[in-house]
Amino acid sequence: MNRLILWFNQTGSPPNFDRFAARWTPWAFAIALVSLAIGLYGALFEVPADYKQGESFRILYIHVPAAWMSLFIFVVMAAQAIIALVWRIKLCEILAMACAPIGAAFTLITLASGSIWGKPTWGTWWTWDPRLTSELVLLFLYLGVIGLYNAIEDRRAAARAAAFLAVIGLVNVPIVHFAVNWWNTLHQGETIRLIGPSKMDPSMMWPLLATALGTKAWFVGSLLQRARVMNLEQETGKAWVGQAMGDASRED
Amino acid sequence: MQVVKIDYVGAAYALFALVLAWDYLAPRLRLARFKRDRVLRSRRDQARRDAAGNRP
Repeated sequence: MNRLILWFNQTGSPPNFDRFAARWTPWAFAIALVSLAIGLYGALFEVPADYKQGESFRILYIHVPAAWMSLFIFVVMAAQAIIALVWRIKLCEILAMACAPIGAAFTLITLASGSIWGKPTWGTWWTWDPRLTSELVLLFLYLGVIGLYNAIEDRRAAARAAAFLAVIGLVNVPIVHFAVNWWNTLHQGETIRLIGPSKMDPSMMWPLLATALGTKAWFVGSLLQRARVMNLEQETGKAWVGQAMGDASRED
Repeated sequence: MQVVKIDYVGAAYALFALVLAWDYLAPRLRLARFKRDRVLRSRRDQARRDAAGNRP
């Protein structure tokens, strides 16, 4: 068997995933905290104030990475949901459902930080701009997935129903991303490009890259942590859970 | 005016820290509850077994 497929199959078994998550969660959070500390220090103390926006432009160092994560996590959730629906892999159901609260958290940060930035810059907390409205719809989709998952008692049936909503909601991701191109919006267009030159000065860019890396690592840590708890709850009563908890209590 | 704008920045960063703190703590509290429930259940089971063993 292909070594990669073998690794996926082995890690996908509940006891192996528990050990994998317990081992790598602290590392992911450590990378996240170091990257975020470097990025936020640069954003608040190293980068000069913007010549037009002044100090309030510093909000973009949390707003932009959070916005990227809100879309990225939805794509990851939908991908896991498709795998869960097609191949009925239990771990993918858990991973998809564990993505939803993390994505909702980043979407909330995006909307709230954007609103706080909008007040001194646009003169309003909120406007029904296509980018803002589609991002709000994204938050409702995350909340819908969480709500649907918690509304059905059978965990696996609940995960499949919520996975359908995640897959349907995927249509909103390109709408959020391209809203600034498709419609005449108040929200600024694309400033940072992965391919091609960015409109942002390189001296202002490095803290953004650090916070972007930090939020990615945070997502990995948070996903592993949440999925581990859900996996333990669903497997409660199995012998390996007792052993894992016994080991954990001895470690404590 | 500058001070007011710095307050906006502070509010945004505080919100960011608050939401991430919730995201970190919520599953840890859930895991702690899961562990506590397991301990309580095993104590109940043990007490039930002991009670059944002491019956004449």
